[in-house]
Amino acid sequence: MSRDVKLWTAPAVVVVGFIVVMLLGLVRPSLHTTMFTIGLYALIALPLGLIYGQGGTISLAQGSFAALGAYTSAILTTRYGISPVLSVIPAMLLPAALAFVIARPILRLPELSLALVTLSLGTVIAVGLQRGGDFTGSYVGLSGAPPLPIVGKNPVLVAIALWTAVLIVVVLYSHFVRSARGRALNAIRVDRLLAEAMGVNVPFDLATLFAVAAAIAGLAGWFYVHAIGYIAPDSLNAETSANILFMVVLGGRRAVLGPILGAAFFTFANDFLPGAETHGLFFGTILVLILLLSPDGILSPQALRAMRRLFADRSAKPSVRPAPIADATEAVR
Amino acid sequence: MSLAASGISIRFGGLVALNNVAVSVSLGEIVGLVGPNGAGKTTLFNCLTGVAQPQEGRVELEGQNISRLRLEHRVRLGIGRTFQTPRLDLAGSVTEAVMLGFNPRLRQSMFGACLPFSPARKTEEELSARARALVAEFRLAADPDSPAGELSLGHLRLLEVARALASEPRYLLLDEPAAGIDDVDRDLLAQTIRKAAARGLGVLLVEHNVGFVADLSHRMVALVSGEVVAEGKPADVVGDPHVIAAYLGVQHVAA
Repeated sequence: MSRDVKLWTAPAVVVVGFIVVMLLGLVRPSLHTTMFTIGLYALIALPLGLIYGQGGTISLAQGSFAALGAYTSAILTTRYGISPVLSVIPAMLLPAALAFVIARPILRLPELSLALVTLSLGTVIAVGLQRGGDFTGSYVGLSGAPPLPIVGKNPVLVAIALWTAVLIVVVLYSHFVRSARGRALNAIRVDRLLAEAMGVNVPFDLATLFAVAAAIAGLAGWFYVHAIGYIAPDSLNAETSANILFMVVLGGRRAVLGPILGAAFFTFANDFLPGAETHGLFFGTILVLILLLSPDGILSPQALRAMRRLFADRSAKPSVRPAPIADATEAVR
Repeated sequence: MSLAASGISIRFGGLVALNNVAVSVSLGEIVGLVGPNGAGKTTLFNCLTGVAQPQEGRVELEGQNISRLRLEHRVRLGIGRTFQTPRLDLAGSVTEAVMLGFNPRLRQSMFGACLPFSPARKTEEELSARARALVAEFRLAADPDSPAGELSLGHLRLLEVARALASEPRYLLLDEPAAGIDDVDRDLLAQTIRKAAARGLGVLLVEHNVGFVADLSHRMVALVSGEVVAEGKPADVVGDPHVIAAYLGVQHVAA
């Protein structure tokens, strides 16, 4: 029973949080658009939380994959008259295919090199979109993308649609981390040799999840372009990718809800902070403080364990544990 | 039925790590591979498990050439292994660490792993119960949900063995399992190895500690400077002048 509770905690928190904020939006309607922004960032950040927090594989290309999805859908809907209902498929498949192809050579790189390579990938995509001439709308971008199917332009319905997607990702993510495949991904982060010794095909698993992450970013891009109606090269770019990574690290890369918390923090801070030029200073300071105090972000495993202990029935389980032997853990590090 | 390496040679630059070495282990047999530091034990172990590729020689499993297969394939074929330095997520629970051992035998799709109410959920329950049984059998921790980082080095080594056994291997390759563990854990380890062999597993033990291996194994192979210098019954190998010379120095033999 307790296992099931763990599986559904994160989705329940998302549903409750969403309903509360949307109800507050009855008093303050701007919250509905704020919720859209948070949901958009959360959708791009969640799969990064999976591949980085669980798999130890960093990526600074999520924003660019979202742009790729947005552009794919914008071009298909405005130029070829295809319905957004259908264009969502290529908007997800194209980033996924690109990610899968490039994953094999690059995902064996160490963390810093991987960050730089994925960042340059984003730059290549951005330059391609800027220099794409009429086809991509050059520096101006593309406008006139039709509104989202069914929900149209109603901000409440748009937010509900987007957060349904977020909820589905959270449900899938929660189940994945508590499966053999999730443990395999965790093993890859801890030690690739260990993962191989546990029969894990490391390059294939990483490439697949990298592609899935790109596909979900592409879905976010699709939401973006059809909710807002236009897309430009600097709408979703390398800076977005960096902000997404910030959200994941700040919110807690090991926790399912970490990226969502990070996205909410980032969006609200952006709304309430005066003067865009001071934002960098503020976020930089916050990041340094969090990493010093809790290297795994706000929702770190330690913080979650402390919370669970707070809610757990203390009398239920006497905690008899073998005495921790300090030098044993030292020896295996 | 055996796992056999033959004619294995590996050079690292000018250094000959292994020179035309052969070693084999049959089902139900415990083979001890001993030798002083730098003899090439770990290199030979790596050739058998697929971590290192020999420049010459071949590795065969039940007569089939598996020389070119990578580590993860060999594990799925039934060659389980442990690591000299325990490798695991110290922040995760003891049960989760053991559950990872079931992976080589599982065929779970990424899709199925994500879905609620899928067969993967039932699998998860079963694996958790089986892992808890192993934790109890190996007396790894009083609380199976406690973090693996709280275990002593001896218990971490036992955990490695439990995890390797979880993959239901036909051959179990242990890299220095008894190094740095106390007598109680060592007895439990010896018992476990005997039990595994009695169940029909082939066990290859790489050990520095000759006494532990001599008590346990049916057959011993002594490796010195990348060459097999003695092979046979434990008593013979332990008494072999080459082995004594390698461990204690040549003067001892002369005197």
